[in-house]
Amino acid sequence: MLRFTLERLVGMVITMALVSVMVFIIMEIPPGDYADRYAFRKFSGTGVSVTEADVQAIREDLGLDKPMVLRYFDWIGNIVLRGDFGQAFAFETSVVKVIGDKVWLTLGILLTTLLLTYAISVPVGIYAAVKRGSSLDYGLTVFSYLGLALPNFLLALILLYFANKWFGADIGGLFSPQYQDAPWSLGKLWDLIKHLWLPAVVLAWSAVAYQIQTMRATMSDELNRLSVTAARARGVPEGKLLLKYPARLAINPIVSTIGFDVNRIFSELPIVAAVLGLTELGELLLKAYLDLDMYVAGAILLLLTFIIVFMNFVSDLLLAWLDPRIKLGA
Amino acid sequence: MLTVENLSISFATDEGRITPVQGVSFSVEAGKTLGLVGESGSGKSISTKALMRLLPGNASLGDDTKITYWAKDGKEIEIHKIKPKSRALRDLRGGEIGMIFQEPMASFSPVYTIGNQMMEAIRLHRKCGKREAREIAVEMLNKVGISSPAERIDQYPHEMSGGMRQRAMIALALSAGPALLIADEPTTALDVTIQAQVLDLMRDLQRDLGMAMIFITHDLGVIAQIADEVAVMYLGTIVERGATRDVIRNPKHPYTQGLLKAIPSLDTLHDRLSPVPGDIPSPTERPTGCPFHTRCPDFINGICDVNEPPEVGGDAGRSVRCWLHKEPESGRSAA
Repeated sequence: MLRFTLERLVGMVITMALVSVMVFIIMEIPPGDYADRYAFRKFSGTGVSVTEADVQAIREDLGLDKPMVLRYFDWIGNIVLRGDFGQAFAFETSVVKVIGDKVWLTLGILLTTLLLTYAISVPVGIYAAVKRGSSLDYGLTVFSYLGLALPNFLLALILLYFANKWFGADIGGLFSPQYQDAPWSLGKLWDLIKHLWLPAVVLAWSAVAYQIQTMRATMSDELNRLSVTAARARGVPEGKLLLKYPARLAINPIVSTIGFDVNRIFSELPIVAAVLGLTELGELLLKAYLDLDMYVAGAILLLLTFIIVFMNFVSDLLLAWLDPRIKLGA
Repeated sequence: MLTVENLSISFATDEGRITPVQGVSFSVEAGKTLGLVGESGSGKSISTKALMRLLPGNASLGDDTKITYWAKDGKEIEIHKIKPKSRALRDLRGGEIGMIFQEPMASFSPVYTIGNQMMEAIRLHRKCGKREAREIAVEMLNKVGISSPAERIDQYPHEMSGGMRQRAMIALALSAGPALLIADEPTTALDVTIQAQVLDLMRDLQRDLGMAMIFITHDLGVIAQIADEVAVMYLGTIVERGATRDVIRNPKHPYTQGLLKAIPSLDTLHDRLSPVPGDIPSPTERPTGCPFHTRCPDFINGICDVNEPPEVGGDAGRSVRCWLHKEPESGRSAA
């Protein structure tokens, strides 16, 4: 297991190095740079004519004149050695300060969504497979297709409406107004949890629908295996039998797609966040692109991909733990 | 120790109700081996699954089916009446009746060690701690001829060879100490030399542990080596039964005769093998009259395809279901 973990860790580091190069290239691709944008912002409407030399001076000031390769190593070196993600030009402060809390909030939404997805879909999928062909099973299938067919933002609006109507709470955003800028406390945490469930439900909805079907299908296959009959023939009690033998193998495709789920949540998050008025990374990323604020955009891209790569690493370890045959093949 | 009377099993399917096993009766005596022989689809496997109530959800037993088992403590258990999720059924499975299967790889779960699965079975049926269960498991692995069992016990099934897995499988089924072992084609997936070793092993174990056995196979050659009594099944009914020696020396039913002719032998090396012609019909298209008449070389037109032959008894448990052997004057037939 140790060897397997080390191998996967090395793989993760290599992937992150490649990703960082790609992220940097993506940051460079949009035409123009922040120097142009800064000159435009500062002098537009003032009647001052800006020459190419002025822009060049700004560029040198911001350190954007150096060759790309050099800037890449400066950038990645600072991140790795000092945890410094560079300047957020548009905010005139460091990227770390701009992103700060938003990273944790995004992570909070992500983990809540994942937990909710698996906590519902795995047991329900098992149940549907065991009760295959019953009316409950068909009911769940209908729900699944509804879940897949319903667009996220619509669901967000509907839930927002009913949550407001029934709970009377100001459910938009992640905090109640009194906690918005307050320092972290137990009260603030509880307030966060009260607000977190809504985006988590919206984001988990389609994944739950999809994963129930996955779990049901693989569990149905596993239930027919001889090893399950053999265990039953040894007198293993049914409940223990289901969890120990078929379920452990049936959960495999769900665990192996954790990375995909994370990816999907990140792509759906900005729209849901816009509807629910959340402040998270996606919104900031969009703004950073519009401002050509490349280090902010780079930091966000890097963090998001790091989370995905890390979750893939977690899923690899879980898979190896679930099925010892995997370690041998590695 | 086990008697089965009028065992009928039907399945509710999309094409309607099918009954692949009809009115099968047999019994097993303590310490003896009953061989069940027949082609694929003859109902031998599901008949034994019924003994442990392992049939799928859409299956049901006939109304006049009676399965009686005398447990190790002398108690009489009416298996056909046991409730599906009861404690009694869990105790019966594994603890009283053990089962081994054709595919040793598929009958172990690949994600647990051999020891984990053995110790689970042991602790389900014997009151003992983890350490004691492990000792029993190691001893059992040793008994089935696995070398260095103390290390092997922590291996996964995929780390063993085919023959070794089959031995481990037997050890697993026997670890909970059943009085009756059902072996469902345990040697079919093995090559011939290992097959002989496993048969030897099973015979030795049976003698040492005083177990009874039901041995399912399609191979009369294997039956000759291991069974005391044999019952030949065709399309869900027993067509011939008797002491193994009797049946093999003097087969009465044309189907048994066909099966024996189909065994390759060194004496008939230059001749072509003579298979039983045709295929076993599907249970949905069960022929009228004698179920075998569609493939029978001695088919009597107007009799065999109209009336089902009764069971004609002989000495010492010998009987056959065939119109060729019906003695009209005796009237001893028991349908």
